[in-house]
Amino acid sequence: MPSTTSIDLPPPALRGRAWLAAVGRSSSPRGRSAAASTVLDSLAAIGFAAGLALAIGRLPLGWQAAVPGALLAVASVCARGLLARTAIGAASRQAAEVKQAVRRRVFAAALAREGREPSSLGSALSVAVDAVEALDGWYVRYAPARTAAVASPLVVVVAMALASPVCALIVAATFVPFVIAMALAGGAAAHEARRQFESMARLSGRFADRLRALPAILAFDGAARAGEELQIVSEELAERTLKVLRIAFVSSAALEFFAALSVALVAVYCGFGLLGLLPFRPPERLDLVRAVFVLVLAPEAYLPMRRLAQAYHERETAEAVAEVVRPLADEPSAPGRAGSAEPPAVRFDGVSLAYSDSDASVLDGFDLDVRPGEFVALVGPSGSGKTTVLRLALGLIQPSGGRVTLDGRDAAPGGAAWVGQSPVVTPGSLAENIRLARTDVSDAEVARAAALAGLPADSLDRPVDERGGGLSGGERRRLALARAFLANASLVLLDEPTADLDAASEAEAIQAIAGLARGRTTLVATHNAALAAMADRIVRLAA
Amino acid sequence: MNALTLTDEARLRARAVDAPRPRARPPTRWTGVSRLDGLLRAQRRAQGGALALAAAAGALAGIGGVGLLAISGWFIAAAGMAGLAGATLGFNYLLPSAAIRAAAVLRTVGRYGERLEGHAAALRALGRIRSVLFIGVASAPASQALQLSAGEGCARLIDDVDALQTQFVRRPARWGVAAALAASLAIASLAGWRCALVLAGLAALQIFGGRFAALSLALRWGEQIQSASGRLKDACAALLAAAPEIAAYGLQEWAAGKVSDDSRALIEARRGMRRAEGWLACASTAISGAGAAVVLLLAHGVPLPVAFLAALAALGALEACAAAAREAQDEPAYRAARERLEPWIGGSLLPPDTPKAATLSLAGGGSRACLEPGDRLAITGRSGCGKTSLLERLVKLRDATPGEAEIGGVDLTRLEAVQGRANFAYAPQSPTLLAGTVRENLRLADPAASDAQMWSALADAALDARIAADPAGLDAEIGEAGSRLSGGERKRLSLARAYLRSAPWLVLDEPTEGLDQATEALVVARLDHRLRNTGQGLLLVSHRPAPRMLCRWALALD
Repeated sequence: MPSTTSIDLPPPALRGRAWLAAVGRSSSPRGRSAAASTVLDSLAAIGFAAGLALAIGRLPLGWQAAVPGALLAVASVCARGLLARTAIGAASRQAAEVKQAVRRRVFAAALAREGREPSSLGSALSVAVDAVEALDGWYVRYAPARTAAVASPLVVVVAMALASPVCALIVAATFVPFVIAMALAGGAAAHEARRQFESMARLSGRFADRLRALPAILAFDGAARAGEELQIVSEELAERTLKVLRIAFVSSAALEFFAALSVALVAVYCGFGLLGLLPFRPPERLDLVRAVFVLVLAPEAYLPMRRLAQAYHERETAEAVAEVVRPLADEPSAPGRAGSAEPPAVRFDGVSLAYSDSDASVLDGFDLDVRPGEFVALVGPSGSGKTTVLRLALGLIQPSGGRVTLDGRDAAPGGAAWVGQSPVVTPGSLAENIRLARTDVSDAEVARAAALAGLPADSLDRPVDERGGGLSGGERRRLALARAFLANASLVLLDEPTADLDAASEAEAIQAIAGLARGRTTLVATHNAALAAMADRIVRLAA
Repeated sequence: MNALTLTDEARLRARAVDAPRPRARPPTRWTGVSRLDGLLRAQRRAQGGALALAAAAGALAGIGGVGLLAISGWFIAAAGMAGLAGATLGFNYLLPSAAIRAAAVLRTVGRYGERLEGHAAALRALGRIRSVLFIGVASAPASQALQLSAGEGCARLIDDVDALQTQFVRRPARWGVAAALAASLAIASLAGWRCALVLAGLAALQIFGGRFAALSLALRWGEQIQSASGRLKDACAALLAAAPEIAAYGLQEWAAGKVSDDSRALIEARRGMRRAEGWLACASTAISGAGAAVVLLLAHGVPLPVAFLAALAALGALEACAAAAREAQDEPAYRAARERLEPWIGGSLLPPDTPKAATLSLAGGGSRACLEPGDRLAITGRSGCGKTSLLERLVKLRDATPGEAEIGGVDLTRLEAVQGRANFAYAPQSPTLLAGTVRENLRLADPAASDAQMWSALADAALDARIAADPAGLDAEIGEAGSRLSGGERKRLSLARAYLRSAPWLVLDEPTEGLDQATEALVVARLDHRLRNTGQGLLLVSHRPAPRMLCRWALALD
């Protein structure tokens, strides 16, 4: 099992690849062992080439003579398979640790953000679940391939040099034009590859946009034309994309070419060397075994780079996703506040609030003075900002103008009880669920809070499942109320505590709320006239 | 009608026209003859040239890949033998060394051609497929189409189309594998039938065994990943919905721990899949290498160069087979994508209706408003009482309610969507703009609109100065969903767009929200002027008094 908190996330200044690499580095040595396995993979390739060469050399003596070499080749290739398996295992373990740590942070940030601005549920979910999951390919495919692309060619060339220094030189020499080509075209190749990624994205982006704008397109009877245009634009974009691809694919063709060239040069050199037809005197004595060894090994020099090129898509996806995840993962969480025993005075002083993604302000110069122990009902049409006022009092949201204070200090989370429409439920007994609000209490206190909220004593051991199965709508609301009683906070905030309840449950809930409000500063947002009538004061918010 | 089906494949068109209307779309599974298959086949035919070229290039690359190593091996071994025998003078070295170079070039050029032509075919075909899909979505009942358009379904649809593209690109590569295999079988048979037989058997194992393993691991772990991911999303959603409660009781750490547990299940499922992939890679590597060794041993009777030739050819072919088999891993996802796309394929649109000015009768809040052409009606009520929904039902962006609205005496539910919509020019409360230019957005309302008409509509929406200030004018890009405009500007562009549509009734939802008083006064005055000129009627939802002054009638919904 990967541990959950061993990873420290890097500073937010790092971007994309650097951020991913830094996250990976802090995740224990697994990334290194994945990279080590990919390098060992080259050693196994050397064993395979040696085995095959030995077998060839002794095959003229009969197949029995070739068996040891063949066995070495088979053993090496099996080792190679196992190493590949080990590398994937280690890398996926690293990926697991990274994803777990990043997801924890992203979720914490999403939770804080959701408290502030309850609109981004869908995107928060897709970031916390899907985007984090997309980081996998970077650690499992791309990162090990990148290490191997640097280390493996060196290992291979050194092994070749042991058999034939000239062949090693030939392969190394093909790296020179290759590296120059990549350095010259490399910036261009990377640029083209990125442009390819972008223009592919543009192709589906246009489609996505027209689907998104479908309400307007339908309202104006424009669907047929939009469909036609989509095709025309798609075709235009396809032609432009193909121009990009023609260049982008050149970089992979160059890779192919130099890989093929190194094999061909080694073959031709060895062949002519064995024939004794070289136009120069080779500084080495070549025999068939050595020649076969270097030939079989030659493609291995370029193999890691070809693997790296194949991991390009994983890299682009993960780096794009990292840019989405990073700001969330680096978001600080809000400080808490210790509650006071005495009911606080709550004061809203010219409070304004506008959510970042819309222009309409939710509150504009809102003033409200709540005396200690007062019970205030907030009423008004939906969208008038009732829930926002509660969230401001809880300190979840910072106002964009004005101040919200509790006993003169800025509001901050903690020290208040919250009763919402969908309380948290967790698998376990009802008593355990109530206890979430406060852990340092006796069973008797839990039972008392339950009784005050109208939950019968014999229901406390009842099991509750993940989705709150086993609880009716009314019981959920009473669970939330029981938590508020148990928390014994001096400030109580209730958000539509009686919505969607039948008449009987509603009456019981109102009774319990009246009990809860006694001796506490209480703010309730409600549409319910009976509940509002219980309050000391009704504040009406306009749309 | 035919011009609008946008499916020039005759068969498809026939099927689309024959389809009964209105069609209820199967929400999930679809069985029978696949329309998507038909469309893909037609597109493969249309892109036949590029695909054939890609396949040929792939085959050349496959042969070149196997040939490069095999001929090299043969050349070295033959040279070694000749060198030992002292028979170097009679050795023909020109042909093999030329063949080696040819194979190297063939492999490079073939691979390049295969990738490029495969992408060319895919990109061109996908343009048509996207268009057909879009028409399919647009012609579905409004409730389904808009649900897709607004929700997560949209992102999935786009991913599904991308999955089609991947399959399109990969297809020609199969010819490369087939050619590589055929070439290496021919080479192996030079070393005796036993070598060829062993190679054929191992290749079958690589392809069919590999495919089976890749498919079953994708099915098994894919399902686990999906259900774990679903559970994680549910858990996150439940906790996020209770964000204030969690903050109040300081349960953030506890909630993060809960998510961690569900997250671990997903991560473990993914790791399981990776581990299985690792074993698959391990097995295919071992089979390739062992195959080469076995072929070599079996070829002990034939001349050494031929034995080496056969062994290297076997190695190359077996590796190519393994890579091809691994692609089966994407197949379950591809099948799921196709199944999701299927219901959206093959729809067709009715041509837009030409409306005639007619009476409009609208019921709500217990009363009924009967309007003559040119009348102006304010629809009022507290927020949340359903004013916007009523407008959306009128323009058939929601399923209409029987008895709520009649146009020319015909109940709205009995009119086709295009017939109903033709009567209205709608500017919604939250404007939906197209990514593109100002002109593209305006032309949505009237494809034949002249520049002068566009400027006049912009002027009436008090947006002309802003657009004129941009050097690109009407051709200024407004960004995705109008992101380069402010909220008020987006609103006014949406208003100008509605002005350009010649419909008997203008339907405006909060047209001046977010505007300052002076601009609002200007917009209202020009709207009044415009309505008098065009003779259009007005249905208005607004909580601001200024635009409501335009209306003589009111319908209170509560």
